[in-house]
Amino acid sequence: MFRTDDTWVVVAAFNEAAVIEGVIGELVRGGWRAVVVDDGSTDATAQKARAGGAAVVRHSINRGQGAALQTGIDYAIRRGARAIITFDADGQHDAADIPALLAALDDADIALGSRFLGTIEGATRGRRAMLRSATKVSNGLSGLKLTDAHCGLRAIRASAVPQLRLSQDRMAHASELLRKIRLARLRVIEVPVTIRYTEHSMRKGQGGLQAIRILFDYFFRS
Amino acid sequence: MMIRVLLIGGFAAIGWFVFRRRNRLPLHIMLVFLLLIAGAIAVVFPMLTTDVANVLGVGRGADLITYIAIVTVMFVLVHYYTKFAELQQQVTDLTRELAILRAEVDRVAPPTPAVAPDEQRASERS
Repeated sequence: MFRTDDTWVVVAAFNEAAVIEGVIGELVRGGWRAVVVDDGSTDATAQKARAGGAAVVRHSINRGQGAALQTGIDYAIRRGARAIITFDADGQHDAADIPALLAALDDADIALGSRFLGTIEGATRGRRAMLRSATKVSNGLSGLKLTDAHCGLRAIRASAVPQLRLSQDRMAHASELLRKIRLARLRVIEVPVTIRYTEHSMRKGQGGLQAIRILFDYFFRS
Repeated sequence: MMIRVLLIGGFAAIGWFVFRRRNRLPLHIMLVFLLLIAGAIAVVFPMLTTDVANVLGVGRGADLITYIAIVTVMFVLVHYYTKFAELQQQVTDLTRELAILRAEVDRVAPPTPAVAPDEQRASERS
């Protein structure tokens, strides 16, 4: 059983000053400890995150989402986290889903949020189709059978962290994580979550062209 | 025969650079000089390359040199790509180390400016 006070929520943020304070506020009001990794933002992301009540770790150079998540995870472990939640900075996740993810860790090493088991608000048809095909590709690469392979909302046991070290600095970290779950034969569970797409999160999201970059990274940078 | 002058001049320039930056093992420098000398010989006696090409089953010396050059360039590219990726990883590791260290230092010993931030800014301007 994991408690609120030995859980850290890791949020990787790059130029999210517009929304980060609200996102962190929601987490802090829920009683969670949050660390924001400001990935070399050029706006006031760090100050806003601090104002919202998060611990802030700042990359002096932009290193990508995968690198930022790993930094946040390392920091959380340093601070004594027994469980880690990864949470997107753009406001697409719902803090109310965290208890279910944490509860799932009782029987698993890692719990992955799934928007296809849960609810998707505001996504266009095209985006859903893209996410579904990305999940198929990812399942093919990792050998896992998931309904949603790229959800940023997850819960990880601290004991599984060493086996899941992310070396993919940019977006291929999501697929890398799945491959490592499979290689280490970790127990994985999917938990329904709610994703709220807003104009802001859609703009920050990954388009079809980036998929090529992600695949390139996956194959040639490991 | 301007081209011979240009090519040999180019080889000589490379040799000079390598000689000036000789911080590597003598073996590396020897290897570079051997290659440069081989190149110079090929420039002065081009027919020699055709003889070598024929032994290897290639029709013309120029073709052989093209093939070798392509493979060499590809090898160099892969080599530097690997180096580049390694360097990227090292930069990430350092950035991470620095970020966590700074966060921990700030937590244990929060920065206490001796003067109020407004005054500090004013004094920096003057």
